[in-house]
Amino acid sequence: MILKLALTGMRKKRRDYLILFTGLIISVAVFYMFLTMSLNKDFIARNSVINHIQPVFLVGTVLLSVTTFFYLFYTNSFLLSLRKKEFGLYGLIGVKKQQIGRVFRLETLVITIGALVIGLALGVLLSRVVSWLLMSGLDVGFAEFKVIYVPAVMWTAVYFLIASFITSSVHSARLAKTPIIELLRSDVQSERVVKKPTLTALQTMLGVLFLGIGYLSLYFMEQLRFIGLFTAPVTTTAGTYLLFAALLPVIVRKWKRNKKANLRGINAFTSGQLNFRLSSLKWVLATIAMLIALSAGAIAGGFAFKNDAFLSIDRSWQYDAALYNPGSAEIALLATIPLQEQNSFHVKQDDTYLYYVREELNAAPPLVTDWETYRVVRPEPLPENMKIEDDYQIIPDNWVAALETINPALAGTKSFRIVPLEQYERITGEEVSILLARTADFSAYLQKWQALEELQNDVYSTMMPGFDPKTDAVTSKYSQFKSQYALASGTFFMGFFLGLAFLTMMASILMFKILSGAANDIRRYDSLRKLGVRRKLLENSISREILIVFLFPGVLGLMHVLVGMRLFSFILQEPYYRLWVSILIFLAIYGGYYFFTVHLYRKIVLSHQ
Amino acid sequence: MKPILHAKNISKTYGKKGTAAYTAVRDLSFSMNEGEFIGIMGPSGSGKTTLLNMVATLDPVTEGDITIDGVSVSAMTEDQLSDFRAERLGFIFQDFNLLESMTVFENIALPLSLRNAEVEEIQDRVLQVSGIIGIGELLENYPAELSGGQKQRAAIARALIHEPALLLADEPTGALDSRNAETLLDTLAELNAVRNVSILMVTHDPRSASYCSRVLFIKDGKLDRELVPSGTREAFHQEILTVLGDLDRRSGAGGRA
Repeated sequence: MILKLALTGMRKKRRDYLILFTGLIISVAVFYMFLTMSLNKDFIARNSVINHIQPVFLVGTVLLSVTTFFYLFYTNSFLLSLRKKEFGLYGLIGVKKQQIGRVFRLETLVITIGALVIGLALGVLLSRVVSWLLMSGLDVGFAEFKVIYVPAVMWTAVYFLIASFITSSVHSARLAKTPIIELLRSDVQSERVVKKPTLTALQTMLGVLFLGIGYLSLYFMEQLRFIGLFTAPVTTTAGTYLLFAALLPVIVRKWKRNKKANLRGINAFTSGQLNFRLSSLKWVLATIAMLIALSAGAIAGGFAFKNDAFLSIDRSWQYDAALYNPGSAEIALLATIPLQEQNSFHVKQDDTYLYYVREELNAAPPLVTDWETYRVVRPEPLPENMKIEDDYQIIPDNWVAALETINPALAGTKSFRIVPLEQYERITGEEVSILLARTADFSAYLQKWQALEELQNDVYSTMMPGFDPKTDAVTSKYSQFKSQYALASGTFFMGFFLGLAFLTMMASILMFKILSGAANDIRRYDSLRKLGVRRKLLENSISREILIVFLFPGVLGLMHVLVGMRLFSFILQEPYYRLWVSILIFLAIYGGYYFFTVHLYRKIVLSHQ
Repeated sequence: MKPILHAKNISKTYGKKGTAAYTAVRDLSFSMNEGEFIGIMGPSGSGKTTLLNMVATLDPVTEGDITIDGVSVSAMTEDQLSDFRAERLGFIFQDFNLLESMTVFENIALPLSLRNAEVEEIQDRVLQVSGIIGIGELLENYPAELSGGQKQRAAIARALIHEPALLLADEPTGALDSRNAETLLDTLAELNAVRNVSILMVTHDPRSASYCSRVLFIKDGKLDRELVPSGTREAFHQEILTVLGDLDRRSGAGGRA
C-alpha cells in the first residue's frame, strides 16, 4: 500500500526526479570513463609520462570517489527535501517511520540501478567518442584503450550501490529523527539563523597570508623546489578555506550597508538570500574552488605537456632532417618544403673512425645550442691544430655538438677525426653524404618528415648491415619526436579526461546543493509575488543570486590555476601554453551548469505562478 | 463618501466548466467606501478567502468586474496587476509572510524599494510607520528573532508604508494568542479611525469581526447578509455570534441546496 502511495508521490514530482536521474546518469558515465582508464594498467604504462607514478591514479580515483559521494549525498538530500511533506503525511496516517525509511531507501536503490544501466551505456559511448576524438585529433593510436572494460563496469556498479545505500540510510535515519509535525510544516519553516561574524578579521588576515605564501611558493617554484612542493598546496588550500569562511559574509554585508543600492527594487531580498546562502555554502564553495583549480589545472597541464613535445624537440634539434645519401626521391620531396637552410656534409668511415672535412665544416658551421649560455649559435671556426689525447681529438664543445647535429645516426658509434681536405681525400673508406635541412616550423610538415624517414630506411639498411626498419630505429628528429609525442599525448589524454570528469562532478554538486534548498524558497517567492513584485524582477533576482554563488569559487579557482601552472615550470618549458583553451572549456561547462541551475531553480520556485 | 472598492456580479469557478466544476463565489456584489473597516465572515468553504484573493488580484474573476480606487482590475495583464498590488494594496497574512532573509527594516521598506523611492524617503517613512506600529526598536532584527505579535506588527508596517488605497487582511489574528490578537486589532481599529485607512479583513473569529464598521456574511459563495454595529463592541460581538449561529443552524437543517 505504502509502496503504491510512494509511486504516486514520485509520479507527481516526475520532473524533479528526471533532473535527479539525469544527474546520476552523468555521474555514473563520468565515473566509469575514469575507471576504464585508471584501472587499465597496460594503457597507462604505455601512454603516460607519469606511468611510474601509479599512485597518481590511486589519488585520482579516491578524489573522484569522494567527490561522487558528496554528489550522491546532495542529490539524495535534494530528493528528500522534495518529499518531506509527503512523508510527513504518511506519518500522520500512521505509517511507521521504519516503513517510510524503507520505502525511501528502496526508491533510491531503484533509481540508482536505473541510472547505473543507462549511465554505463552512456559511459561506454562517451569513452568511445572521447577516445576517437582524441585519437584522430592527436594522430596517435591508443590500441590498449578498451571502451568496454569489465573491471571498470564492476567497480562502478559496486561503488554506486554502496554509496547510494549509505547516503539513503543516512537520510532515512535523519527522517526518522524528524518529528512528523516538522515534516508537515517543512515548507513553512525558516531553517535559517543569522550568525554574527566571529574572528572575521583574524580569519581574513590568515587567509590572505596563507594564500600569499601559497602563491609565492608557486611563483618561485623553481627556486624553492621541494619546500615549494609542500608549502604551495597546503597554504593555498588553507588560505582558500579561510577566505571563504571569513570574507564572503563580510563582502555581502558590505553590499547590504550600501543603502542606496540595497533599498532599490528587491536588491535587499537578493542580497539577503545571498547572505544566508553564502554562509551555509561556504565550505562547499571553498571545496569547489579547490577542485576547479585541480580540474582546470589537469586540462591545462595536459595541453602544456603536449605542446612541450614540440618545444623540447625544437630545443634539442636545430635541423629538422639529416638525410643520408639522399636520392632523387628525397630531393624531390625536400623541394616541396620551404627550407630556411640546407647544407651538405661528407663523412668517411673506416673500422675505428668517422672522418669529417675541416674546410667543409668551417665553410658552413651548423646551428647548435651552446650549453653554457643556452643560446643557439654557430661554432667559431676550427683551429688549425687539434691535439689528440688518449686517442681522443680535442675540439671546442660546440663542435662536438655540431658533429652530432650533422651526423645524428652515426655520431655515437665511433670516435671522430676532423681532418684537412687533402688528408680526407687520401682516406680509404666508405663515404656518406649528409644533407641537413631546417624549416621555420618543424610541426607544420610532420607528414613530410615521416615520408622522408620511410625513404631513408633503405639507405639505413645498406649503410648499417643488419638494420631492420621494423624493429630498429635510427636517431632522428622525427623518430624522437614521435616517441615523445606519444608519451605526451597519453598524458594529455588523461589530464583532459580527469579534468573533465572533475569539472562535471563539481558543477553538478554545486547545482544540487543549490537546488536542494530551493523547496524552502518557494514560499518566499510566493510572498514577493503577492506583494506585487513582477515575475521578471524575481527571475532576475534568481539569476543574480546564483551567478554570485557560482562566481566566487569560479574566480578563485581560476586564480589558483593561473598561479598554479607555475608548478609545471619544473618539467615544462611553457606551462602556460594554450591555457585559454582549458579556461574556455571550464567556462563552457561551468557556464552551462549555471544556466541549467538558474532554469531549474526558477522552475521550482516560480512554477506555480 | 468616496467608493474605494466595487465588486459587481463576480463569480469564481474552479475546474473546466461543465466537468466537475466547483463554483466558490457566485454572482456576488458589494461596495466599500473609503475609511471603512469591513469584516468578511462565513463558514469554512463559504468562499471568503476566494473573495479576498480576487479583490487582492491574486486570483482572476471568472465573471463580473472588480474596481479598486476607480480602476478596473479585471482586464489587467500579469505585470500590470503586480504593479497595481505594489502601489495600491497592502497585505497582512495569517502567517505574516515576512521574508526571513531580510531585516525588519528591509521587510518594511520593500514596497517603497519596489517603486525605487529615495533612500532618505524610505528611511523617514520606515521610522515613522514603525514608530506608529510600535516596533521602532526591532528594525535591525531578523524575523526569526521576533515573537508572533511583533512579526504581525512588522507585517502591518510593511502593508502601510506605501499608503495603499486598501489594506487586505487574511485572518491576521489566526497565529496570535488572545492578548497579541487584541493589541493587533486595537492597532487596526486605530489606523482605521485616526488615519482613515480602508481595511478589508477576512476572519472566522467573531471577536476580531466586532472591531469592524461593517461585517459581510458569506454563505455558499453568496452574500448572505450584512451587519453594522449599533451599540458597543460587546453588543456587536453578541449580534455577530447570533448571526453565525443562525447560519450554522440553517446549514445543519440542510439549507445547502
